[in-house]
Amino acid sequence: MTQEYFENLRLELRRGSVVLAVLAALRREQYGYTLRKTLSDHGLEIDEGTLYPLLRRLETQGLLDSQWREEDKRKKRFYILSTEGARVLEQLLAEWRSIDLSLEQVLKEQSNGAQSNGTR
Amino acid sequence: MELKAMELVNRYLQAIKFWLPKEQKDNILAEISADLRAQIEDRESALDRSLTQSEIEDILKQRGRPCLVASGFRPQESLIGPVLYPIYLFCLKCAILGYLVPWLLVTLIILIVRPSFPAAQSIPAWFNVLAQISGNLWNMAFVGAGTVTLIFAILERVQAKSHWLENWNPRQLPPVRKANLNRRTNAAFELAIILLATAWWAAYMDRTVIYLGESIRIALNPQWLWFFWSYLVVLLLTATTSILILARPHIVWPPAVLRLFNSICGGILFCSFLRLGMLAGIQAPNMTAQQAIDFTNTVNHWMITCFPLGVIVSVVIIAIDIYRIARAVSRSSSTE
Repeated sequence: MTQEYFENLRLELRRGSVVLAVLAALRREQYGYTLRKTLSDHGLEIDEGTLYPLLRRLETQGLLDSQWREEDKRKKRFYILSTEGARVLEQLLAEWRSIDLSLEQVLKEQSNGAQSNGTR
Repeated sequence: MELKAMELVNRYLQAIKFWLPKEQKDNILAEISADLRAQIEDRESALDRSLTQSEIEDILKQRGRPCLVASGFRPQESLIGPVLYPIYLFCLKCAILGYLVPWLLVTLIILIVRPSFPAAQSIPAWFNVLAQISGNLWNMAFVGAGTVTLIFAILERVQAKSHWLENWNPRQLPPVRKANLNRRTNAAFELAIILLATAWWAAYMDRTVIYLGESIRIALNPQWLWFFWSYLVVLLLTATTSILILARPHIVWPPAVLRLFNSICGGILFCSFLRLGMLAGIQAPNMTAQQAIDFTNTVNHWMITCFPLGVIVSVVIIAIDIYRIARAVSRSSSTE
């Protein structure tokens, strides 16, 4: 049961960061399969059932541009960050760093508190 | 890729296509297809051979059931969303308790009281009554639940557009309930009523001949005295329960168990009262001997006829008491 809770919490934690990772990875033009591989190579496994609907959603929101092109005799849909997407990515990265900093401070405070309690 | 393996992929894509949103069907499918084929080709070039059918099968299985894959591309839709769902469930329960249960009881009474109901109360007669009720009950339940669901489905659409649930005022919330005070007030009121009833019961009902005014004489069966004393004990036990709540409003178990015990005893007594036909005779001015016999027989007949109804009412009361105890148990275990 604990493992199940952990899995749910892990998925919740990853959900927001996956959007950030996808936007960041698409600063360079890629199609779905290579994007998935890029993320996987960096330790961010994302299944196709999550990635493709996410790409469409981000495109509908105007954060991505896409076009169908032939490569290796096969038609593929290439995605790239739009101008609006680049702006939003910068804002999201700033938010991400701020959350990271706050969390670090909370963790540091907690660990200092635990240490001072231990020395008493 | 083998031809058979390709066929498997095509079947998979066709199944996904069926569930995709109409306007983007081909576009999404082309993308899924490109991704799938790229994955297969990648594996084939890594293994330096064509994938077998079972290997393709594994890839498809890992991707998930076609309708689930397609569902990711559909907008999130629900008949009643998570915001309104608890309110919907609450209203559904209210509809059952406030609409279906009273309807059931009223229908049961009408069917029993109507002249065509056989006085002999044979099993087929009861079976007939139950068959009529269950036939209508499903219709009523379906219409009731369907109406509530329909109203909430409409509210869900309206709420999604107007966000009326977001406009609220904290001042309009009901005042905080003082649980113990409430219990004490109820217990004090209940005790006053029970004591009055007990005094009346002990003063006027301890005999087998009862006079209404000076002219009407009601004679009861000898079993009445047994019933009288038993019911007096139940009344005193009920009064004890109220006193217990008044004195110790925080305790939960003893009053709840006492109440259940009282309900069981009260139910048994009430049902046996109906079943035994307590009236032995009546004398009243302007009433002939034959009329008195007819009246006595009619009263006893209706009491016996209402016996099953008494059983149903008693079972419902006992079930409510058991439900209250179960709720108290779950609350106490959740707060531990």
